[in-house]
Amino acid sequence: MRVTRTQGLHLILVGFALALVARSGWVQLRQRERWQAEARDQQTVERAMPAVRGRILDAAGIVLVDSRELVRLDVAPTEIRDRAALAAALRRIGVPAPFVQRATDLERKWVELPGQHLATDVADLLAMRGVHPRRVIERVPPATAGLRNLLGVVDREGRAVGGVEAALDGALRGRDGRTVLVRAGRNGALTSPEERVEPPVPGRTVVLTLHQGLQDIAERALADAIAALGARGGDVVVLDPRDGAIRALASRRARPDATGATALTEPYEPGSTLKPFVAAALLDRGLARIEESIPTYNGRFTLNGRTIADVHEAPSLTFAEVMQYSSNIGIVQFAQRLSPREQYGVLRDAGFGMVTGVPYPSESPGRLRPVPEWSLQSPASLAMGYEIAVTPLQLALAYGAIANGGELLEPQLVREIRDAEDRVTFRASRRVVRRLMSEATARTMRGLLRDVVEGGTATAADLAVYSLGGKSGTARRTRDDGRGYEAGAYTASFVGLFPAEDPQLVILVKLDDPQGAYGGVTAAPVTKAVLAAAIAARDGALDPSGLRGPPPAPRAAGESGAGQVVAAAGVMDDTAGPRGNAATRGAVAPASASESAPVGRAEPPVRPPVTFDLARPSRPEGVVDSLRAVPDVTGLPTRAAVRALHAAGFRVVLVGVGAGPSTSPAAGTLLPGGTLVRLPSVR
Amino acid sequence: MRGRTFLLLGLLAFVVVAAGVIWRRSVGVAQARTLRELRETRGSLSATEAALEGAIRDASSRARLARTAEERLGMRIPPESLVIRLPRPTPVVGR
Repeated sequence: MRVTRTQGLHLILVGFALALVARSGWVQLRQRERWQAEARDQQTVERAMPAVRGRILDAAGIVLVDSRELVRLDVAPTEIRDRAALAAALRRIGVPAPFVQRATDLERKWVELPGQHLATDVADLLAMRGVHPRRVIERVPPATAGLRNLLGVVDREGRAVGGVEAALDGALRGRDGRTVLVRAGRNGALTSPEERVEPPVPGRTVVLTLHQGLQDIAERALADAIAALGARGGDVVVLDPRDGAIRALASRRARPDATGATALTEPYEPGSTLKPFVAAALLDRGLARIEESIPTYNGRFTLNGRTIADVHEAPSLTFAEVMQYSSNIGIVQFAQRLSPREQYGVLRDAGFGMVTGVPYPSESPGRLRPVPEWSLQSPASLAMGYEIAVTPLQLALAYGAIANGGELLEPQLVREIRDAEDRVTFRASRRVVRRLMSEATARTMRGLLRDVVEGGTATAADLAVYSLGGKSGTARRTRDDGRGYEAGAYTASFVGLFPAEDPQLVILVKLDDPQGAYGGVTAAPVTKAVLAAAIAARDGALDPSGLRGPPPAPRAAGESGAGQVVAAAGVMDDTAGPRGNAATRGAVAPASASESAPVGRAEPPVRPPVTFDLARPSRPEGVVDSLRAVPDVTGLPTRAAVRALHAAGFRVVLVGVGAGPSTSPAAGTLLPGGTLVRLPSVR
Repeated sequence: MRGRTFLLLGLLAFVVVAAGVIWRRSVGVAQARTLRELRETRGSLSATEAALEGAIRDASSRARLARTAEERLGMRIPPESLVIRLPRPTPVVGR
């Protein structure tokens, strides 16, 4: 068959058409996804939507750290229509003059302006042509330096740097989302309802156990003490011994490079504040009795060629007095009843030499050398709180065991974690690490620690109304290079249990090289200041029901009564003023009848309930408060006197040493309720 | 009807449908833009709210108030002997 020229042309055209169809089919069917993806890349643009970092709250729900969206401004000068208006608006929001000039310079194509602004503050600028906002999320740091040290910060790229922010970054960070925009002319983009959006998942909310009021109080007291005593720094830890919750944690250093929570990261030699654990171990094992006497050689004793000295120069002291007057000679001799392995076990069981597990990135384990590394002097040194390094948190937790009946608890810093829907995904619970001592031993130790405050080395911490137990410590400071001790430099510390009978708080105060050196006269008053402010604050830091009730709990059978005994022996006049004060009090003021009743049997006095009618004014015009007589408190201990005056409806202020009538106005004077009565603290 | 009429109607239908699609997409894009602007406004207002709340917290915090009260008003934290804790009224049941 012969094919004409026309037919050939048709065949070519048909073949070309078939090839086009085939290619079209190939592209549309076989390569569909590839070309669709390519088209999508050309037509759309994907933008990340940063997740908002989770908030950090205190135990009462007060926001400590939050995130907020701000805008940074970029300017394309060539797009601007009204340069004068732009310059005025930029000046109004505080943009530096050189940048204002650059932003209106037509020879520049793009100018990035410094600073971040709330969108509402720059709304007029955002409406201007040529102003391009960039949305950024700013992490607002905690208000106080102490909280910043503990919680850490987030850098400009959104990375957590240190502290709780870093430790809990996984929970706080959230997950970024993304959105797809349709490309438009002039590098613009349109939101298309057909394009998918993956919304960001915000970070979780972390609720801490901290109490912001207590935190503020602790930071303020620490700062004031450091300034007043010229200390190099200090730490305050406030802990709830009932569940191990950290209620406040303040750290401050003169060194500018110390920005972390040094209460968790910097171990120190605790000195005499370690003695109660050796004492508790001896009592727990039946190796010592509190009324047992031991020679203390008038304050100088040589053991294995080393001379150990006491500030309190007494020929002998009972076990209770050894604690009360912090006798090195006494505790060293008692500690010899423990084998080195037992002594090591006691300190290890108290949590020293290992991290507590608090969520903080660089917590220090402290240092407790194993027995094979000990020297001949080590048992004596450890009994006095040397050759061991502990962090303030470790020590506070160990004291928590004395406070709560003998159980060493895991510390709690995070109370709960909530997701974006406010569902609780984690809740902390009380976790016991181990039993450190029996309940009876813990109760006895609380009695001994109360004696330390009421008539021992830490009377500067004594409160007028409530009872406080505690132990002071003064340890020589090691040199920065770790070689030996620094001449004339000390670490002063005090650990308090409040209230002494049923502690709600353990308060540890440590001061680095303060003027005055002794923990009982430098750190103990800081504890008192913290407690006074916490009692006055009434913002939930303390459980009021645990503070009401009977006068100070009387001593149980077997508990210490060292104050009176030593006062009679005449050995209480060798320290600073407060102790002399206590001696006078112990010798002169007889124990009231109620104080001789055993613990647990004393019933709180039943008082009629007070009813307030809030609808009525508290002091109607023309109505005068009913008069009442000032009670006679002559001969009563100060605390009992204050309580008697409170019970009668008067306010009380202590006014140092007094003579003559026990109060001013005198007993029997008729006064309206609420009148201020002056009571000499030493009578 | 003749072929040209069919063709005309077909073209007209195409134009109507195309115009409808374009109108619908335009409305959608406009609404999406409005939605985005509203989202941004909400974000801005939330940020402003957070900033104001932070400023209120800071101004009413103990750290700031206590110092101000001491410096300007001469107030002092009372010792605990001046603080009287009143017992809570016992709730009366069955009266």
